[in-house]
Amino acid sequence: MADGLLRNASIFVAACVCGVASGLFGIGGGALLVPFLALFFAFGQHRAQGTSLIALIPPTGLLAFLAYDRAGYASWKFGLLLIPGVFVGGVLGGWLAKRLQPRRMRQVFAGAMFVLGMWQAAAAWWR
Amino acid sequence: MTLIVLLLGLAVGVLVGLLGIGGGVVLVPAMVYLLRMDQHLAQGTSLLILLPPVGLGALREYWKQGQVDLRAGILCALGMLVGGYAGGLIAVPLASRHLKGLFGCFLILTAFLLWRKPQPQNPLANSVGEETARG
Repeated sequence: MADGLLRNASIFVAACVCGVASGLFGIGGGALLVPFLALFFAFGQHRAQGTSLIALIPPTGLLAFLAYDRAGYASWKFGLLLIPGVFVGGVLGGWLAKRLQPRRMRQVFAGAMFVLGMWQAAAAWWR
Repeated sequence: MTLIVLLLGLAVGVLVGLLGIGGGVVLVPAMVYLLRMDQHLAQGTSLLILLPPVGLGALREYWKQGQVDLRAGILCALGMLVGGYAGGLIAVPLASRHLKGLFGCFLILTAFLLWRKPQPQNPLANSVGEETARG
């Protein structure tokens, strides 16, 4: 069981790293957690995604959110408007994931993120 | 305007279910560019959106297929709770411009990680879905 313990400890540490990114960038952390689980812990793609979703059920961003809200960095109006859509869309996406080959989707998504990332970094520092 | 915001939420949600991600990676740039929010405000609002279990419906679909590692999920949740607080403390005092640039770099890094095809060295990692993904 020592092997299992080591594995659990490493998963916890990896999750802490995802958490720092989550708080720093205001994201859920799943975007980092899915590749971590798949690359370092040999999870299958679907299993990594399912496990990431369960990690995101409890309000893991609560402490980070409080830090932002205290500084006035949260828009309740838009936040509350976006929640129902994300929920309904999530059901749809989960249903689609069973039918599609997620690899292609992931690559399209990764490509879009790469372009978006370059754009954001350039817009912020290129002046 | 309200309709656009509702539709934006729906589009983000599809990605949440499809890719098993939190949605923040998409939400933050969407709010910055479409809703013209400041970087800090977008990030704080994204965290607010992710407080309720928005991925619950998506999770159900994965759960039915047995594609969930409950123990690893709980460990990850704990780790992210702790790490998230640290990250929040770092981000709040940063200048908006630097935060935006860093976010851009983070997106690029995540793009590389997502692009890489995970190689399951260990067939024990019970991957039912992997077989369909490989075909």
